[in-house]
Amino acid sequence: MSSRKIRVLMSKPGIDGHWRGGIVVSRAIRDAGMELIFGGFQNAKQIVEAAIQEDVDVLGLSIHSGAHFAYTKQVIDLLKEKGVFNDILILVGGVIPAQDFPKLKEMGVANIYGPGSMTNDIVEFIKTHLKK
Amino acid sequence: MTNNDVIESLISRFKKNDKIALARLITIVENEPEKASKIFKHFENIKHDSYIIGLTGSPGVGKSTLTGAIAQKMLDEGKTVGIISVDPTSPFSGGAFLGDRVRMTNICLHPNVFMRSLASRGYKGGISRAVFDITMLYEAFGMDIIIIETVGVGQAEFDVYNLVYTVVVILVPGYGDVIQMQKAGIIEIGDIYDVNKKDLGGEDIAVQIEMMLDDTIFQSGYRPPVVLTDAISGEGIDELLQCIWDHKEHVELLGIKEKKKNRFKYKIKELIFTKVEKLIMENFVDENEVNNIVKNALEDGKFNIYSSIHKIFDKITLEIKKNS
Repeated sequence: MSSRKIRVLMSKPGIDGHWRGGIVVSRAIRDAGMELIFGGFQNAKQIVEAAIQEDVDVLGLSIHSGAHFAYTKQVIDLLKEKGVFNDILILVGGVIPAQDFPKLKEMGVANIYGPGSMTNDIVEFIKTHLKK
Repeated sequence: MTNNDVIESLISRFKKNDKIALARLITIVENEPEKASKIFKHFENIKHDSYIIGLTGSPGVGKSTLTGAIAQKMLDEGKTVGIISVDPTSPFSGGAFLGDRVRMTNICLHPNVFMRSLASRGYKGGISRAVFDITMLYEAFGMDIIIIETVGVGQAEFDVYNLVYTVVVILVPGYGDVIQMQKAGIIEIGDIYDVNKKDLGGEDIAVQIEMMLDDTIFQSGYRPPVVLTDAISGEGIDELLQCIWDHKEHVELLGIKEKKKNRFKYKIKELIFTKVEKLIMENFVDENEVNNIVKNALEDGKFNIYSSIHKIFDKITLEIKKNS
């Protein structure tokens, strides 16, 4: 009866009001049979606490403000500090220039999804890259 | 590490108040209920002292926002609070969109709170199968208060009643007329009735509830109060909280033991039923046989599913008698 469900937290660090992307991806994740916890607007501390208490496999950060380096670094530093970074797959989506992808990956982001990304690809990536 | 080692190490971290360990143990009882006995053998001596409150009502009435609002007040009073919020699992994909935590963002960093979102995973009754086990983990973690927020329910999903000591039924303006109030089910189970979104009205609903209560006999002498709240502005929350404490006092005065017994009985019956159902489905119910019954029932022009089903019943009865 061990039916492991993939749990995903979708958060919007900061307060930029572009919800659509996060909602569309969340819906695709739900429809792929995973459990999606919608975090909405959260600061880095709230995101990490939610990821811990919900024991998620995946953390999605939806960022459209241009502050993707700052927010992602804060979140990853805190995940490391709490000792859970190695358990959680981190994905970033939103308006992210392609030239910023390598630096985000270097920071510990598993993949980045800009405008035009296919939701199927995100679902497939999650299924094949889980850390635990 | 073997599975057992994982559990042992989580338990020792759990006992040092490690929230990560609590979160992982919840995942285990949720995904692998057969491991529950391995976990709970470490907690045989826990006192079941947490006071458990259930919040229920239709989708969108404000259950999560109210949960956040009352939890905040409880935290302010110095209490530790464990929250379980359930949302529905899709019957099509098996996935879920859990949108309760997003209403409680402002309390989630408090050191004395732990909040977990659950998907119902096919369990009926407005909760999920894991809810009971998680209340046990919260008790072992030393929570003063446990709040269970149900799925957005209709009229007949009231299993939460069996797991909590105080039930708050939440309604909103426009709920219905005198006829709705007479119906059995969810409207009967409240220890407290809360009409939320009072900024949109709701005085008429409060009166309808009072009239329904006028027609009810309360053996214990406790009559459920009706409160009007606006969870977002916080209006009425102090009053709601006071009603919860008043009911708690009433329950404790009457003897909380009966409520606790009921809670454990509910779970024991559920465990037995689940096991028996599984055994019967695995050993006696053949999907092809069911398909054949349906096919025959439709194709021979006589919708005689009952006579065919009785053959299966007879087979099961025979087998059970043989072994007893």
